[in-house]
Amino acid sequence: MAKILDKLIPSPQKKLVKLRQKRNWLIIERDTCKEELEAKVNKKLSALEEKFNKKLQKPAFEACDKALYIQSQNLDKLIKYDRKNYLKLRAVNTAAIKKIFKLTKKGESFDSVLENQKGKLDKLNAKRDSFLQKLEAKKAAFLEKNSQSTQENYEAAKAEALKVYETEKQSLNQAMQEKLDKKTAKLNAKITAKEEKIKAVKAKITNVHTLPDDVLLSVKGLKMYFGGLKAVDDLTFDVKKGEIFGLIGPNGAGKTTVFNCLTRFYDATGGEMHFKNKLDEVVSLRDFEVHDIILQGISRTFQNVEVVKEVTVLENLLIASTRQYQSTLFGQMFSLPLLKKEEKVMRAKADSVLKYMGLSLYRDRLAWGLPYGVLKRIEIARALMCDPQLIILDEPAAGLNETETNELAELIKKIRTDFDCTILLVEHDMGLVMNVCDHICAISFGRMLAYGTPDEIKASKQVQEAYLGTGGDE
Amino acid sequence: MVKHSFSNLLGREQRQEESAIKALRAIKKIAQKPVLHFAIFAVILSVIKVLSEQKILQSSFATAVGSTIIFCIVGLGFCLLLGYSALASLGTAGFIAVGAYCAYFCLSQWQFTIGTAFLLAILVAFVVGVVVGFISLRIEGIYLAIVTLGVAQILKEAFAALKDTIRLTGKQITISWLNDMRLTTDHVYFILVIALFILMVLTKNLMDSPTGRAMLAMKNSTSAAQAFGISLLKYRLLAFVLSTIYAAIGGFLYMLFIRNASNSSDTLFALSTSLNILGAVIIGGTKSIWGTIGGTFIIYGIDKMFLQDIEFFRANPTLITLFCGILVIVVVMFFPGGLVQLLLEIKLKIKKLIVKIREGIYGKDIG
Repeated sequence: MAKILDKLIPSPQKKLVKLRQKRNWLIIERDTCKEELEAKVNKKLSALEEKFNKKLQKPAFEACDKALYIQSQNLDKLIKYDRKNYLKLRAVNTAAIKKIFKLTKKGESFDSVLENQKGKLDKLNAKRDSFLQKLEAKKAAFLEKNSQSTQENYEAAKAEALKVYETEKQSLNQAMQEKLDKKTAKLNAKITAKEEKIKAVKAKITNVHTLPDDVLLSVKGLKMYFGGLKAVDDLTFDVKKGEIFGLIGPNGAGKTTVFNCLTRFYDATGGEMHFKNKLDEVVSLRDFEVHDIILQGISRTFQNVEVVKEVTVLENLLIASTRQYQSTLFGQMFSLPLLKKEEKVMRAKADSVLKYMGLSLYRDRLAWGLPYGVLKRIEIARALMCDPQLIILDEPAAGLNETETNELAELIKKIRTDFDCTILLVEHDMGLVMNVCDHICAISFGRMLAYGTPDEIKASKQVQEAYLGTGGDE
Repeated sequence: MVKHSFSNLLGREQRQEESAIKALRAIKKIAQKPVLHFAIFAVILSVIKVLSEQKILQSSFATAVGSTIIFCIVGLGFCLLLGYSALASLGTAGFIAVGAYCAYFCLSQWQFTIGTAFLLAILVAFVVGVVVGFISLRIEGIYLAIVTLGVAQILKEAFAALKDTIRLTGKQITISWLNDMRLTTDHVYFILVIALFILMVLTKNLMDSPTGRAMLAMKNSTSAAQAFGISLLKYRLLAFVLSTIYAAIGGFLYMLFIRNASNSSDTLFALSTSLNILGAVIIGGTKSIWGTIGGTFIIYGIDKMFLQDIEFFRANPTLITLFCGILVIVVVMFFPGGLVQLLLEIKLKIKKLIVKIREGIYGKDIG
């Protein structure tokens, strides 16, 4: 009963997350409203331009060089004619080729076919010539009718139109600026109100933890028992901000179990996990449920790729941002303007992530049947969608060949600098781990063996024993 | 300067061409909008009624279409549940009973207005859906089907104990703000069409929204869904409650349209309704609105509209059930995606054929 009540009454931390999301959306709205207004003004201006162009048509025609005009028009007509004739020509040629092919198979001569084809082509050419002659005749008649005229008229009309256009543009821009100021002021007021609320809720949170400045994640005495099996036993390590941290160990050492504890897929038997989220607040991960972890800025990939295969690649990324939408169910069912705006923002973001990962080609394809390497990339892209502070990669190199693994190493390093995040990875491929990691933690049977830089780990005797066995075993 | 004006002229022609292309594109865009297709479908359904009033079609035909529309509404809710959340429920009949009994008690016993009764039916369905969902959604697959089957049976028996046969008379179905105008079956038919249209649009919107995507994610991979912030219980409950509400709306409209239902003699509140809806959604294609509608029209429509006119089938009503059963088996074996998949395949084949014919006439386009 107490558990259900806990679920119904949100904790201050959950409230905080919700309030922050609302504030963040308001900020996005404030930043994008200028673009929207500008697009509206531009639409109006282009309509105006169209109108003036229509007005200027007659004077412009009177002022133009008639010979040049009719010549260009005739050229257009000729191009259209040729385009139409192209298919006929091709049909004649293919028919001839087919016939020749047949005749040569039989061993007969094909001169008659060539003659026939030549005759047909000549006919077509003759038709074209007659068409050209017609055009020339029309040109002469047209030039006779329409003599050159002055262009003062046109210049005056144009100057007048330009004047009106400029004044209109100025007034529109002014109106837009006013609207923009009003809207931003309104949104700013809302944002400050939300921020005050956030402060009030923040004051309610009592149990505040602290972490050293450069530490992002600290795991202390983590225990995970499955009945009598101690999958993880008293594991302690710190992950520093902005580093690439590797967790290695032989098969069954409990690496993935550690990840599942961190992302709350398993409820740890004991121990503490503290995490510093985007706003430098230290939170205990055990306070959150598995689906709320993402809001703190931890996203993960899976050992056996878990891409949603029924939807397109783009929608796969959008799934990752489900929690960033502010629209209610009601708004979604009636597809209200807020949802449309949010979709636009999220799609733009997903597009940019896809471009970054080099997946734009697959954007609108179903994830069904895509190659394994691409699926792995989609997983990483999906993890990047929710602005993570910490990305957890579960065996990213599994199933990749050597070149792909090298590419992956470069990619991981690039992501760390470009997205300003920390990366925690479990890997079997020692080459990759030694190549990219800043610090490594080696575990065996749920206990820590060694911690240090790649070189230290390579030199560690305990690690060598765990992987290769002790000398006395043989 | 003359040259300038000349280029301006050329620009004008280009612009005209562009605007023509733009207009064509806009028309194409509107033609592709699903709302328009739904509206066309609604108009076709209305035309059937008008034709039957003009004695061109038999009036029993229109009645059959009307009752099929009701099951289409129920099927839409079930499509959300089965196709988008992969939850198989066999309690549909029980939830239809909730709507039907709500309509009966509100309109005949307590004499509420139709609007209030409708809202109350939705509210009751919501409460029932939340309660049943909370209890049963911790389990999945076949076990959920068993639990919901039991719930439906409990609901059926409970309602039977309250009142076995429910009947509404014309006096009780009136619209107060139209001078107590009595709603005839003809009026209700158009209400059915409008309700179907609105629910189709809402369902389509929901399927394309973040919620629909979240449901699909949950269906495909629970762990990925959870890792990206999708609460399993919340979205499963949502799908379940929505399908309950759709079923209750179906039951409510059934009472307005058919006017009577009996717990003991009719099959409406029995297991066969739940199974028929399940069959309809599977035959049509679990993920598609048109598939669900088509499947329902095949299961209910063909039976009521055509087969019952044939003497042979009227003498052996069990053969109709047999026909549906065989259809389900064939579809599941050969077209697991439903009839929608079949249509898509045919469309692809026609496209390929057209390309082949063009190549045959003009030769292969090498350039």
